[in-house]
Amino acid sequence: MRSGDVIGGALRALTAHGARSWLTLLAVAFGSAAVVLLSSLGEGARRYVLEEFTQLGTHLLIVLPGRNETAGGAPPLLGETPRDLTLQDALAMLRSVHVQQVAPIAVGQAPVSAEGREREVTILGTTADFLDVRHLSVASGRFLPSGDPERAMPYAVVGQTLAEALFGNASPVGRRVRIGDRRFRIIGVLSSSGVSMGDNLADLAIVPVASAQALFDNPGLFRVLVQARGRQGLDRAAEDLRRIVRERHEGEDDVTVITQDAILGTFDRILGALTLAVAGIAAISLVVAGILIMNVMLVSVSQRTAEVGLLKALGARQRDVMALFLTEAFLLAGAGTVAGVVLAYLGVWLVNMHLQAFHLSIPLWAPLAATLVALAAGLVFGLLPARRASRLDPVTALTGR
Amino acid sequence: MIELAGIERTFRVGDEVVHALRAVDLSLADGEYAAVMGPSGSGKSTLLNILGLLDRPDAGSYRLDGIETTTLPEERRARLRRERIGFVFQAFHLIPRLSAFENVELPLVLAGVAPRVRRERVRQSLASVGLTPRAAHRPDQLSGGQRQRVAIARATVMAPGLILADEPTGNLDRASGEEVVEALEALNRQGMTLVVVTHDPALGDRARRRVQMDDGAVLAD
Repeated sequence: MRSGDVIGGALRALTAHGARSWLTLLAVAFGSAAVVLLSSLGEGARRYVLEEFTQLGTHLLIVLPGRNETAGGAPPLLGETPRDLTLQDALAMLRSVHVQQVAPIAVGQAPVSAEGREREVTILGTTADFLDVRHLSVASGRFLPSGDPERAMPYAVVGQTLAEALFGNASPVGRRVRIGDRRFRIIGVLSSSGVSMGDNLADLAIVPVASAQALFDNPGLFRVLVQARGRQGLDRAAEDLRRIVRERHEGEDDVTVITQDAILGTFDRILGALTLAVAGIAAISLVVAGILIMNVMLVSVSQRTAEVGLLKALGARQRDVMALFLTEAFLLAGAGTVAGVVLAYLGVWLVNMHLQAFHLSIPLWAPLAATLVALAAGLVFGLLPARRASRLDPVTALTGR
Repeated sequence: MIELAGIERTFRVGDEVVHALRAVDLSLADGEYAAVMGPSGSGKSTLLNILGLLDRPDAGSYRLDGIETTTLPEERRARLRRERIGFVFQAFHLIPRLSAFENVELPLVLAGVAPRVRRERVRQSLASVGLTPRAAHRPDQLSGGQRQRVAIARATVMAPGLILADEPTGNLDRASGEEVVEALEALNRQGMTLVVVTHDPALGDRARRRVQMDDGAVLAD
């Protein structure tokens, strides 16, 4: 038989049983659409997180106090005391030629009050470089002055939510506030950049790092953000940071240096795996659709037994009959998956029209995988009915026994 | 040329073994017109199925045009059916979703003949049974006699040497039956070997040769 005739014959057989074929096609379409839609959800989440991280700058290093690896040996109870990461450690980091800027961070919670209103917020102590390192900008006034970081100064920069909570619509720049038991003057307001890395940058007050340390009576830093000179210098900068701190901490390797790439890579892997898992679960629905194809094809074979007998009497070989029925299953799966993928693209387009912050994004592999799985299911589950048809005995098939 | 020698065919029905054919010897020359007659259960349909290569005998030899068919693989038997044998069934066996034209075209499609060649041959076949104006009709839009004539056109479109007809007039009224028999006899006059299985004596009497069967054996020839 010619392949064109096989396809034509299969199509005629499918359209002859319209409702049955359409319903099966629908099942495959929904399965394919589920695979594509769910993976677009995962991919959208991945992109969202990556974008959030890139906002932090791509040659960022984060230095945390404490080691994240244990080397075995004696338990740390015996003599080994965790050392604070101090402001002096942070300033020493600037000695490395691969380091451009350093923003030490001290963090605490304290009530901020002005004109009889009070709000408990995060107080972030840092230096002038913080603005650059975090790619932030000031909406009005100015950021912390660059001066001696070790000097406490009564200046504060507030986020927009905090400013509105304390002063309403009036400009807060120049006003005085009380943070804990100390008095500060507001010198600037941050532009709203929403939520970044879990910090709500709109609802905090930023003060000089020395002021924060005095406020919380804690010389230890929460972490140090380091801006390296270029992406190539990233690894050498990390090495320098470890060396500098080790020298200052009497040979103890007691900080953890995280690169932006490491965080990005981890999130990328986690969310990538999550997307695959979700797509895999959706693919199960395609397998179910495949079983439906098998069911429909088996019904079709038993209804068309006499027809198969006739084809054999007219000289059809086993493989001709097999090809006809397999092609039917394949066409069902193929048309279904094409419809499903189109449906999914349409759905994603519609959702993205109505969503601002978060966008669904279809990874290229998703429609391919959906199509392949659907076609494979069609073939695998079409095989049994097709074999059954091709092995029918023509004499019994013709007499309808 | 058909030569059957010592053909045996048994079926198991439950615990019983039924001898459908016992030691059947039969030879038919090219262009012969034979009627196989007998009561139901006499084995005449089984004989026809074996002649048509739809069924294999348990023992014996069947040579079709000098080819020993009983030992051929299924693939080769399918090819012989396609090229040398045309079937006409009592129940017509037309595919309901296909037009008369497409039903006649079916053997050519299965043989992989090019569409352009097919069209011409189907047209000739339909014309020879007088159904050219009905080519686009589906079977349910045709009368019984017309349906059987479509089936005859289908049986002859590959120009086979042998036509096997199983009770071809069994589902038809007298007038339509007459038309169908005449169409079959016309083919025989063109040189095709015609074997008709029937229990209708009027139809059997028209054949030049009558094979009388009973209980799986040939009684008279």
